Amino acid sequence: MTPENLLHLLQTTQKCTFGCPIIDRSVGGGVACSSLTEIVAESGCGKTQLCLQLSLCAQLPLSNGGLNASSLYIHTEFPFPFRRLQQLSQAFSSSYPQFSNPSDHIFVEPVHSAHQLFDIMPKIESSLENRNSQLPIRLIVIDSIAALFRSDFNNTPSDLKRRSSLFFKISGKLKLLAKKYSLAVVLTNQVVDLMGSSDGLNALRIGNLKFLCSSERRVCPALGLAWANCVNSRLFLSRNEEVVGEGEGMMNGSELVQRRRTRRWLHVVFAPHLPKSSCEYVINREGVVGVESQ
Amino acid sequence: MEVGRLPISATLRGKLISSGYTTLSSLASVSPSDLARELEISNNEAFDVLKLASHGRGLDRSDGSGAIVNGAETAWDMLHKEQFIPRITTSCADLDNLLGGGINVSEVTEIGGVPGIGKTQLGIQLAVNVQIPGAFGGVGGKAVYIDTEGSFMVERALQIAEACIEDMSDYSVLLKKNAIPHQIQIEPKDILENIFYFRVCSYTEQIALINYLDKFITEHKDVKVVIVDSVTFHFRQNFDDLALRTRLLSEMALKFMKLAKKFSLAVVLFNQVTTKFAEGSFQLTLALGDSWSHSCTNRIILYWNGDERYAYLEKSPSLQSASAPYSVTCRGIRNCTSSNKRTKMM
Repeated sequence: MTPENLLHLLQTTQKCTFGCPIIDRSVGGGVACSSLTEIVAESGCGKTQLCLQLSLCAQLPLSNGGLNASSLYIHTEFPFPFRRLQQLSQAFSSSYPQFSNPSDHIFVEPVHSAHQLFDIMPKIESSLENRNSQLPIRLIVIDSIAALFRSDFNNTPSDLKRRSSLFFKISGKLKLLAKKYSLAVVLTNQVVDLMGSSDGLNALRIGNLKFLCSSERRVCPALGLAWANCVNSRLFLSRNEEVVGEGEGMMNGSELVQRRRTRRWLHVVFAPHLPKSSCEYVINREGVVGVESQ
Repeated sequence: MEVGRLPISATLRGKLISSGYTTLSSLASVSPSDLARELEISNNEAFDVLKLASHGRGLDRSDGSGAIVNGAETAWDMLHKEQFIPRITTSCADLDNLLGGGINVSEVTEIGGVPGIGKTQLGIQLAVNVQIPGAFGGVGGKAVYIDTEGSFMVERALQIAEACIEDMSDYSVLLKKNAIPHQIQIEPKDILENIFYFRVCSYTEQIALINYLDKFITEHKDVKVVIVDSVTFHFRQNFDDLALRTRLLSEMALKFMKLAKKFSLAVVLFNQVTTKFAEGSFQLTLALGDSWSHSCTNRIILYWNGDERYAYLEKSPSLQSASAPYSVTCRGIRNCTSSNKRTKMM
């Protein structure tokens, strides 16, 4: 056993861009390789959008912040958003005309249960080794990890113990692959509402934010404390409606209509290499785009 | 004193010298049966040789404070010795005070806390701080960093190393003494080179590496800290047989203690937190169970108190339980800014 040379490691550790300089800036250049990054958000915040965009960006050359690689998209929520991917890839190829068909470099794999995910790991590994395709796979997205674990297990102590053991098994295997092939691994997770007293175990503070808030509700990431130990970095996407002034009765003439808009934020909850930071973003036809803060 | 001066037969003396036992001190740690086997002599003869040798050593001592058993020390000697043992600073004065000056070398310290509290940050900080040279009150050693979770980020280590060097040069400007060179000779690159980084991906690898450490540190004598981040991760998967897990863990703990004593280095183990069902409610506790909690000399728990990070010294043989705030900044672990304000106001 020999120690690794950190200077060499410093030069070879790469990041995969999100395809937007503002978002990249708040996450230190993108998703780190050889590491597990979790994106936590309630539904409709843009988890899947962000992951699809990331999968497209992985094929960008290193000079553009990509990994010059293909990506593997493991989806557990059906159906897979092919149409949206098509839309995003059109936008992608209009800004990078050298990629005529960017979707070609995204492999999609459905998974139905946590055990199946564990079982296909050897298959994933063989496809990582297989360098026949023009670009090797350097990015794995699992969207979403929560869907796998929230259905199959009961809320009994023995089942929960079995579940957390499986967390560590899957995370251990993913970290092994991530290190061996210097992959960026991105997992998405759902949130659960925080019920009852605000000082219970569920309200346990993990990371930079005092509490996570989305759609005016207090939430916490699904899968609990054991899972939080399994990831290296955690990002949180929040969505909050905001009244931006009252419009002059444009609809009914007499009534005041509140003009509302949704503001979306990306926060770094914890990461070994990042300070507490956040940025605002919007989702449009071309994808997820950061907004410069005033 | 030489073996040649022992009152023993010439053949026996010849056998001793040809086996490499030329000085009496080389005979100090040999058992009679080992010596008998090595020299192909009877056990009684070997016993006599060792007796004569230990007698000879006793005459050699000028102060006459010969220990009864080899390796035994008096508590007074140990206390005297301990005052000169350098400690590894955490770069946070409050935390150093809590620990009696820093992380103690030749002891095993366990640090636990929730994800995102700054365990890895503290680990990287210690790996950098162990290299602060003696002129600056440091240990001037190297670090072994065992990463089981993949959370060690080189770019972060570089950041902390750069900040540490800046602080040292500020310090030398302040002192302006001739003893301390005005120019810091260390570069961030050197600091990174002196961290021996091992990434382990399974518990078998972890155990193998810890067995190998003895050899590795014998070859790299200037290693003064061994950091394991975290000791827990691989032991929370694939263990249906909990008795086996307990056995493996206590064996590992013994090896850490042995390393710490043998090479007088600090062992810092990071642990995760889990929930424990006790007295009808769930409570937070460090992972790996009750038997593991005996295996570390010191135990520190990191937790959130409002918006501030705190460290609580839960277990220590010499210091009282207390807590202290700290903060994680872009330069590394530092004093809590709000506590600075508080002391200024007072």
